[in-house]
Amino acid sequence: MRKRSAQLLVVLVLLLTVGSAALAQKKVLDFLWFTDGIEGEVLKQIIADYEELHPDIEINIIEVPFQNLRTRLQTMIAGGTPPDLARLVNVGDFAPALLDLTPYLGLEYIEDFVPSTHRNVVIDGKLMAVPMDVTANGIIYNKDYFAQAGVEVPQTPEEAWTWEEFIDKLQIVVANSPARFGLAYDFTFHRWLTLLYQAGGQLFTDDWKAIAINSPAGERAIEYFVELHDKNIIPRSIWLGGENPNTLFRAGLTAAHWCGNWMLTNYRDNIDNFEWGAMYMPYEARRSSVLGGKYIATFKDAKYPEEAVEFIKYFTSQEVNARFCRDSLFISPRLDNAQLDYEFGAEMFEIFSNELAVSPPVAGSDWAHPFAGRIGDDFREIIVEALQHELTPREAVEKMERVGNAILEEYMN
Amino acid sequence: MKSKRLQLIPYLFILPNVVIFLVFVVVPALYGFALSFTRWDVISEPVFVGVGNYISIFTSSSFWETTQRTLVYVLTVVPLTYVVSLLLALLVDSNMRLRTLMRAFFYVPAMLSAVVIGVSWRWIFGDYFGIINYFIERYGGTPINWLTTPGWAMLVVILASVWARAGYYMVMFLAGLQGIPEVYYEAAKIDGASRWQQFWRITLPLLKPTSLVVLVLCSIESFKVFDLIVTLTTGGPGRATTFLVQDIYRWAFQRGDLGYASAMSVVLLLILGLLTVFQFRLTGIGGDAYE
Amino acid sequence: MNRWVSRVLQAAGLVLAVIFVLPVIWVVISSFKPGTELFAWPPTFWPKSATVSNYIDALNKGNFERYFLNSLYVSTLSTILTLVINSMAGYAFAKFSFKGDRLIFYTFIATLMVPLQVIMVPIFLVIRRLGLYNSLWGIIIPPAATPTGVFLMRQYMITIPDEIIESARIDGASEWRIFWLIMLPLAKPVLTALTIFSFMWRWNDFLWPFIVISNEQKYTIQVAIANFVGQFYVDWNSLLAMSVLAMIPVLIIFLIFQRHFMKGIAITGLKM
Repeated sequence: MRKRSAQLLVVLVLLLTVGSAALAQKKVLDFLWFTDGIEGEVLKQIIADYEELHPDIEINIIEVPFQNLRTRLQTMIAGGTPPDLARLVNVGDFAPALLDLTPYLGLEYIEDFVPSTHRNVVIDGKLMAVPMDVTANGIIYNKDYFAQAGVEVPQTPEEAWTWEEFIDKLQIVVANSPARFGLAYDFTFHRWLTLLYQAGGQLFTDDWKAIAINSPAGERAIEYFVELHDKNIIPRSIWLGGENPNTLFRAGLTAAHWCGNWMLTNYRDNIDNFEWGAMYMPYEARRSSVLGGKYIATFKDAKYPEEAVEFIKYFTSQEVNARFCRDSLFISPRLDNAQLDYEFGAEMFEIFSNELAVSPPVAGSDWAHPFAGRIGDDFREIIVEALQHELTPREAVEKMERVGNAILEEYMN
Repeated sequence: MKSKRLQLIPYLFILPNVVIFLVFVVVPALYGFALSFTRWDVISEPVFVGVGNYISIFTSSSFWETTQRTLVYVLTVVPLTYVVSLLLALLVDSNMRLRTLMRAFFYVPAMLSAVVIGVSWRWIFGDYFGIINYFIERYGGTPINWLTTPGWAMLVVILASVWARAGYYMVMFLAGLQGIPEVYYEAAKIDGASRWQQFWRITLPLLKPTSLVVLVLCSIESFKVFDLIVTLTTGGPGRATTFLVQDIYRWAFQRGDLGYASAMSVVLLLILGLLTVFQFRLTGIGGDAYE
Repeated sequence: MNRWVSRVLQAAGLVLAVIFVLPVIWVVISSFKPGTELFAWPPTFWPKSATVSNYIDALNKGNFERYFLNSLYVSTLSTILTLVINSMAGYAFAKFSFKGDRLIFYTFIATLMVPLQVIMVPIFLVIRRLGLYNSLWGIIIPPAATPTGVFLMRQYMITIPDEIIESARIDGASEWRIFWLIMLPLAKPVLTALTIFSFMWRWNDFLWPFIVISNEQKYTIQVAIANFVGQFYVDWNSLLAMSVLAMIPVLIIFLIFQRHFMKGIAITGLKM
């Protein structure tokens, strides 16, 4: 008798486990992600918490290198298997394939977020994505070199240097410190755009239908950039030779690096032989930074679009977003997270936030244009031609206008 | 007098390869060819444009510039690689001491991924971090801007390419050299032929099949060069080392027109096809088994 | 040969070999340098403070044992498949004349000319249709039909005398036996070369696994290493360390199989 009931018990237990396993069939959401430091780790923890709250959900992170993000996404969409979630830098680019979030979150959802992000995610009156973090261009400098040369950086926004003063100061630093060059400057059109805005120009017309860079401001921005190279303030090997600007700054070859707030974690973890910090950028017609951002979205043909939206809501809520941005050292796109309790670099974030706050709206909306990414490379090439003196600044902006408008015409019909 | 069964045999032997090819290469390639008549950003529906893409290509000065640059690169790299890999094979095939070690050393670059090649060559030729400029400066000279001058950058790219592939083709030549019977050389020696004569009269002619492989494969590979350039010079300075496949890739995934990119590849295929046919004719043994 | 000339050649050969391998040696040595020393100026050759921290950190960043095993599994299986089907096809093209032989052969070569980047999307669609998406078989089978392999086998087998095959046929041997027991042993040098190449190609494949695999558990080593290159920042330390480790299996395969290139292996005698 005992044997019998023991057997029965075993069978029952087996049935229960198998049964509950069958019942607990997890929904696996694919999350396409690229990382630039430690935010991947932070994300994994947030996901672990979410999975605890929702035992029927599992989120599978598919991490890809940034330069392959677009390629990967395109192949997945073409193959009919878009991910359930994706981290994007340009929403308009993928808008036709994204799920309209308005029925789920309501258009008012975006009201909690910084106004300059709105044009990035609201397309044709519909909410297509939600901002997850915001980036600002800015300058990081080598405190030891500046101290050695006796040059003090602006302590308040009012003390910010003009473009001319910037060149003079950097030359002094180079002459009186081990620095070989004044400034490392990232090899992207997006970074160069900072100069355009500081000169008072803009990339697209306000209605997004044409290129607006052919202006005195655009010309001045190119002229200044060429000057920085001709005077050897920026080493030619970055824009002309593919040299890595981080490498140059870390090795102490340049006294400063024109990059953005995303470099903070990298430099914090990797620079230990000199003091560094952020400084206010110079200006020409006005002060400005460039707003960049990352957005989270889901797709029309995703496996579990509704579950994906639930996660988006969770991830972009005030508390979770604050945690994500604070631990990854990012700037939050939420208005109620404007002052985060950063463990490191709080004073640097003050500078970045200030510069974002005084930037004109175009410094955020230009890059939201769906075809911004497509013309970026061509325009960068034109700048390189100007650097090589194959084009004058005037010819360069004229060429940009021609080339850019041709591309817009092609894609907008 | 081939029996029915014998006639079937070759088809059976090529079957597995052909099936995989058809499914994974030929079908996608045909699809790509069809795409060349459209404009497609991969996210929305393709838009039919007829021969529009081809017309744009043939009237695009940038396309022909890039093709010209690619040809310069290919027509320099291929002969260089051929000669170097053959010399290395001959060197290593002899009864030299330490030849096993040398063989391994020559082959090592061929095993590297593009990233490693890019990093290591930048260490040699980098404008600021490069070891060559370091020594030049140390001994009082002015450093050369290897990677920021168009001419020098092309040279560096060519050298890196030859270095990276010579070991690979050396191995092919070694296999080919194994196929030459020792007795030919012995007979020649008895007849009093010098080493030089042996090389020209025996080795080189009997290496013709291998030579064809090396030339054709090296040309195709050079025409398709992509990863190496991206990690070594990113196509710079400006467009000085930007070749065809980089442009094709850019059109497909950054400019967002897979149709135009497909059309470019069709043209690339035609150019390459012509070059290959020329090489088959040159070595004169393309149709050996069928003549 | 003149002893003096022979000595000079010997020395030149050694010098050349060292020069060839120098950049790689630098990469290996640099992988033992800590982050800050990697970009020191003036550049150092030997590490001032050698460390294995790059390796430990990199190994901790992901599931690298898994990726290695995946790469090993894929490369080995694909190589075996390649050897079998490429030699079969090469034999057919070299020793038989049949309808469409030229067309098919030239099509094989032509497919080499198509850059993978361009047909990436159509291939992905095919992979999906066949249910090979996210399957390791999807990166084992399709790349195994290498045109280069077929080309190599054909060119080599052309040089094997027809008489050997004819006499075997007269003796009543089946076609398969002729292929397996006569052609393959005679083709040892080229088979060895193809083994080395095929393993290396599959091991170093990036684009193909990148398209097919989306589950991190099934990543191959090259896909994992590529993730060290971020949008703004390259994790050089981990990149170098893992690239060095990734080189090792390919090197081992080469060292194992290269013996078969040595002059005097008694194949050549048969040729007469």
